Amino acid sequence: MINFEEELKKFHPSLEVEEAEDAIYNQDLTDMAELVVKMIMRSGRGNAQGLDEEQ
Amino acid sequence: MIYCYNCGRHLSKPDFCTSCGADVALYKKIMHISNMYYNEGLEKAGVRDLTGAVVSLRQSLKFNKNNLNARNLLGLVYFEMGEVVTALSEWVISKNIQPEKNIADEYIEKVRSNSTRLDSVNQTIKKYNRSLALCMQGSKDLAVIQLKKVLSMNPRFIRAHQLLALLYMDGEDWEHAERELRKCMEIDKNNLQTLRYLKEVEAMLMPDETVRQPMKRRREEAIRYQSENELIIRPVNVKEPKRSGMSTLVNLGIGLAIGMAGIYFLVVPAARSEVRNEDQQVITKISSESDAKTARIQELEDQISKLQADMEELSGKIDGFVGEDGTLQSIERLLAASAAYLESRDVFAAETELLSIGQSVDMGAMTEGYGRLYQAVFSAIKPELATSYFTQGSNYYRIAEYAEAVSAFQKAVEYNAEDIESLFMLGEAYRMGGDEENAIATYDKVMELFPGTWRASIAKQSKSRLTGIW
Repeated sequence: MINFEEELKKFHPSLEVEEAEDAIYNQDLTDMAELVVKMIMRSGRGNAQGLDEEQ
Repeated sequence: MIYCYNCGRHLSKPDFCTSCGADVALYKKIMHISNMYYNEGLEKAGVRDLTGAVVSLRQSLKFNKNNLNARNLLGLVYFEMGEVVTALSEWVISKNIQPEKNIADEYIEKVRSNSTRLDSVNQTIKKYNRSLALCMQGSKDLAVIQLKKVLSMNPRFIRAHQLLALLYMDGEDWEHAERELRKCMEIDKNNLQTLRYLKEVEAMLMPDETVRQPMKRRREEAIRYQSENELIIRPVNVKEPKRSGMSTLVNLGIGLAIGMAGIYFLVVPAARSEVRNEDQQVITKISSESDAKTARIQELEDQISKLQADMEELSGKIDGFVGEDGTLQSIERLLAASAAYLESRDVFAAETELLSIGQSVDMGAMTEGYGRLYQAVFSAIKPELATSYFTQGSNYYRIAEYAEAVSAFQKAVEYNAEDIESLFMLGEAYRMGGDEENAIATYDKVMELFPGTWRASIAKQSKSRLTGIW
């Protein structure tokens, strides 16, 4: 049996146009590719040139 | 196309960059996973599993935020779900990553170019948020009204459909709830929340299905037996109707009666209803025309009242000019008095008329020219009036009519205050008339205003005679 109050908590206010700018700026855009590249650079498995630049 | 994270060159088959030698094995795998999720999202979107598409596309972007196809498609999916602002956000980020040759630019332009549509979208979102707040406050009826408005403006807004369905479910209006959820299903076929609600609604709409089922089965029960090579199925509860000519006629009669009744109860009311509707439309039209005319009449009546008031005001102004004591009348009287004086040189008649005008007219309210003319005419006759009144007073004095003499000398003094003779003779008339007090006062004035004159010394003697003080 669905509980109205509990279900209502699952609904959240929708983004208004005025709030779009903040939403865009605050969006976490970190991705896996970025993390992996950082890891490769740190672990020194990249090419020599890349490592030199990083160091 | 995958590009090296180190030098930006296009990567080929080997697990290292042929240009800079960087190890790209893991990086390429990540890019492939991102593309795989994008493909999955695209497939799901193609079969209208929008929720699934959102999950896959988000996953794709988690692996590669620069996967513009995934981001643009995610925006499109959000747009389809009625989440316009979220869609715009994705497209703006996409455009920021690649400003040129990006389809997101076209999407943004399409939304932005129609300012009315954008405004309507914003209004829809605001209304949705307001209805959510109303739900939280317990004003469910108002929330339903708001949500209906939201959905009339944006019929693809899934969350609004779901919230409305939830409200209907809370009010045990299962049919309406089902209708809303079916609409959700048309937009997004695999939304978990929709499916959960729908399951609940269906359970509520068909609670006795399990009870009805055995009855059906019972009705379907039949005796089956094999007769030679044929399987005979004989239903148990079915009776073969007996047919006869009479019964056919009766059945025909009944059929006709039912047909007639059908016509009477279905066709006639429909025709009546149509006529009533037409009448209603005519009445509505007449009523609206009548309302418009009433409004026009009211407007005209207001206009008439205003014009009436203006007319009365102007009438009052005209009366002020033309009436018995009006400005025009007063001007006319002054001009007539002036003309009469110029023609006849009768100073007494002119004096009487001017004094009468002076009493009846408010000089402050008249024009400057009127005042100047009045004063000029009066100034012109004053010297002659003074002389005439002095002569008149002297005559009365001679025949011992001292009261009239006093009156005449007073006028002479009024019109020429510098005439010592008039003032002195006034004192004499007072004295001779027995009014010693006024006589002494007048002698004092003579002595005060004209000191050192012959008349002043006579006045002094006359006063001494009266007072007995020398």
